Amino acid sequence: MNAAELSPPLLRLRDIRKTLPTGRQLLDIEALDIHAGGCLLLTGPNGAGKTTLLKIISGLEPPDHALVDYLGTSLAWPAARRRYRRDVIYLHQQAYLFDRSVMDNVTYGLHHGFGLPRAQIGKRVERALELCGLSHLAGRNARELSGGEKQRVALTRALVLSPRVLLLDEPFAGLDDESRNRTGFLIKRLKSEQVGMVVTSHELLPLAGIADEHLDLRAGRLVVPTRTVPRASAGGRPRNTEEQGHAAYFEMKVGDETG
Amino acid sequence: MDGLGEATLRALHLLVVGDAALWNIIGVSFRVSVSAILISAPVAVVLAFLLAYARFPARLPLISTLQSLQSIPTVVVGLLVYMLLSRRGLFGDLHLLFTQAAMVIGQVVIAFLFVVPMAHGVLAAADRRAWETARTLGAPPWRAMLTVLAELRFGLLAVAIAAFARIVTEVGTSIMVGGNIENFTRNIPTAIALETSKGEFAQGIALGLVLLVLALLLNVFLGMLQGKGEMR
Repeated sequence: MNAAELSPPLLRLRDIRKTLPTGRQLLDIEALDIHAGGCLLLTGPNGAGKTTLLKIISGLEPPDHALVDYLGTSLAWPAARRRYRRDVIYLHQQAYLFDRSVMDNVTYGLHHGFGLPRAQIGKRVERALELCGLSHLAGRNARELSGGEKQRVALTRALVLSPRVLLLDEPFAGLDDESRNRTGFLIKRLKSEQVGMVVTSHELLPLAGIADEHLDLRAGRLVVPTRTVPRASAGGRPRNTEEQGHAAYFEMKVGDETG
Repeated sequence: MDGLGEATLRALHLLVVGDAALWNIIGVSFRVSVSAILISAPVAVVLAFLLAYARFPARLPLISTLQSLQSIPTVVVGLLVYMLLSRRGLFGDLHLLFTQAAMVIGQVVIAFLFVVPMAHGVLAAADRRAWETARTLGAPPWRAMLTVLAELRFGLLAVAIAAFARIVTEVGTSIMVGGNIENFTRNIPTAIALETSKGEFAQGIALGLVLLVLALLLNVFLGMLQGKGEMR
């Protein structure tokens, strides 16, 4: 059990229920905890409701029912959403970047979300771009970037807002090895800065050494999977398929079904 | 053919020498239609946005109704506005009938009914991630809406230009609520209808040329903007 799990959860959602218009119950989750500096890996088959769950947590999509404990207050979802909306950021599987420069994209949340004047945010944005290795792209239109670069701009755009919770939907999908490593590095950095994260991913290896809890979404419920996220090997990623096979998976001590 | 050729030459002459009556008609057309599009398009686009992004009861019936009204004949709009502005109408006391203001009102209605369903189509087909991204980055709903509209500016501009083309060329409403009064409410389409009925083709052709040039310029402008957008 790591430090993140020992600490009280930063954000706890209880009794999350969501039914589709077809009548199918998509989510029926007893509780979900997000810890400061914790990284929860969420897996599950396509259509299991992972994206919907992240959107409910972020406040983008309404559940049928959910209670939220945040900063010592327990509120129903609509009221809670208003309270924590600025602290929780959701990143799409394929990052959406506005049709403007990289600099303007990264500035967007500070200017339009937090209402800070542009004069005050220039240095902050420049530092964030430098940290993420994007300074040379600052003036480029964001639509012209590669998939990996777009993903990094989206992460930079989120981290410049200093969120408490980051919800990443398949952040490694469709990325080449280099982009995957860079994205993994950024996620590690955010974790070290005590940002609580929920990451959905079909790929477990890139999250080795990052995720400290792994839950599977099955039939609307969160369960502890039989095979969990692979342990980070000393030499980084396994070098060949045999090593990948033997790197195998390790069992992690996680909470009950509800985490 | 000789008659048509001669009339066209006379039309070009009228345009080049700056015939006062002709340019007055062109001025009325532009003043009225530009005012109408500037009044109606922003409101129509906001309503289209709400229809595409908000969830409220009767949303779907409202969309269907507005889509049906898109093809309403302009004379019917003219009739309704006439009834409202006539002496015994609801707004008869305002004495707006047979003024440019009445023409603007009629064209506002036509443009509004055209823009709402068209803009709704653009917005409903758009990538919802734009809205979600703006919201998750902390933008309030009105700011997120402006961001989405900015993302879709090329499509929405095309809708506005099509709406302008529709109102600047419509006859029904203008003639019914404007009255086709010389040097006051006579615009390009009503003048063409009148001159043609009198057998005076030169002015009609000259005005028709103005509309054709306008249509060409608007399309070139739109094409340039869209080309710029497609570069990315």
